[in-house]
Amino acid sequence: MPNEIDDAALNLLLERAGLSLSMDQKSELRKQYEVVAAMAENVRKPRGRTAELAHRYGFTAEDMQ
Amino acid sequence: MTQILTIAEAARLIAAKKLSPLELTKICLARTKRLDNQLHSFVVVTEERVLADAAAAEARIMAGKSLGPLDGIPIGQKDIVDTKGIATTCQSKLLADNIPDQDATCVEKLSAAGTVLMGKTTTHEFADGGPSFDLPWPPARNPWNTDHFTAGSSSGTGAAVAAGLILGGTGTDTGGSIRGPAALCGIAGIKPTYGLVSRAGVAPAAFSLDHIGPMAWTAEDCALMLNALAGPDARDPASAMRAGMDYTAQLGTGIKGMKIGVIHHFHETDNKVSAGTQAGIDAALTTFRDLGAEIVPVTLSPLYDWHACGTLISLTERAAAYDEWARTRLGDFGSRVRERLMLGAFVTGVDYVQAVRRRRELRAELQAAMAGLDVVLTATQPEEAPRIKGMAPWDIDRAPGFTMPFNVTGYPAMSICSGFGAGGLPVAIQLVGKPFQEATVLRIADAFEKATPFRNRRPALTEALMPA
Repeated sequence: MPNEIDDAALNLLLERAGLSLSMDQKSELRKQYEVVAAMAENVRKPRGRTAELAHRYGFTAEDMQ
Repeated sequence: MTQILTIAEAARLIAAKKLSPLELTKICLARTKRLDNQLHSFVVVTEERVLADAAAAEARIMAGKSLGPLDGIPIGQKDIVDTKGIATTCQSKLLADNIPDQDATCVEKLSAAGTVLMGKTTTHEFADGGPSFDLPWPPARNPWNTDHFTAGSSSGTGAAVAAGLILGGTGTDTGGSIRGPAALCGIAGIKPTYGLVSRAGVAPAAFSLDHIGPMAWTAEDCALMLNALAGPDARDPASAMRAGMDYTAQLGTGIKGMKIGVIHHFHETDNKVSAGTQAGIDAALTTFRDLGAEIVPVTLSPLYDWHACGTLISLTERAAAYDEWARTRLGDFGSRVRERLMLGAFVTGVDYVQAVRRRRELRAELQAAMAGLDVVLTATQPEEAPRIKGMAPWDIDRAPGFTMPFNVTGYPAMSICSGFGAGGLPVAIQLVGKPFQEATVLRIADAFEKATPFRNRRPALTEALMPA
């Protein structure tokens, strides 16, 4: 994962998130990208496709009525 | 009666009819009026409400109908907790005029136990970031030195309890927001097991990390409050639907033979704490040995792994919770929350799922490491409270904190005062139990407090109000 983000990618992410930022805000935010990218890299471990949480719906008797 | 009482001490005096709830409440109100212009621990002081509540408590007690040890005890509710008919601002311009029409479950439960509501305590905006100076209300100040930070986000409750303005209060904890202020303000605070205390009616920060819990001067007081707070609630989809218990039952039974694991690398290398904090930890381990406990070293994944996992989950869930306002009213948030919401744009869906998968691995790791142990111990904060002015605006790249690992795992975790550092401000240790083993954590914390002198010292600013 790259630890820098270019203007086009930053603009795409912000547009996707619906956030309207000033140029100064974008500039400051861009400096923090590396920190988040490092965290995202850290949680990627070799664990295989099936290493998922056992999602529970919590069905109750009311669901079956 | 000018001494600052604990909940347990006040309850005993009230039960013996040597102290009236109205007298106690008036003393707390007077302290609040005298000190809160320096501490800013309250967003709203509900003077009429607290006096009415106290009068009602007094009438019950005089009629022999006491609701128990919390009856007539002045408390605060963190200002992200809904209070019917009373402003709940979340310290935000976005909710400056918000008056809820229903109490949060934790408010209902503490009211049913007879507590009297002194007011709404200061928080960081939506329980995030801080300290902030661009919000409608100022940040709370540390009563041990008002030039210093309280930590957050349950900053007002921490400051108000330490200064004796209230005897206890609620905090919320998504990454350490009960334990951080408890540590820097020199009080006790416990983040219970995820789902033990209902979050219904409390503004979300990050739903899978959010916890509600008590903050008070002592572990015993936290146990008394947890007795009222714990239990199932159909209004909270994350409720463990598990009954509470008497969390005071094991207090005073000693800790001989108990096993305490110490995660040395968290606070000695991963994020090396100050000399004062380390001295507090070392002295605490000596105290625990003297009380008959066995100390065992524990090794876990590096602290950064827990921090990365929790931070990615927190950024994403917070961005989702406040998505609509972020898109339409971003400029109405204070700068610190605005920055967190902006950072949420950097976390992809895949990143979030990988973090959630990582959480399962980390939880399994802690479960295995705690086999045969009663609790594990590490620092709560890296040092004494820093000065409030001049703290970095962006805090995402701070060294990893000691509290987030137990939001990631949902395990109960408590901060208690372990002494005072070179600057005269409190330092703390953190005790972590197994799921739903709050009674064990409180038992060990209580034994420590009673074996050490740290509960006998209050901030100088409150002692100045005492007669010679």
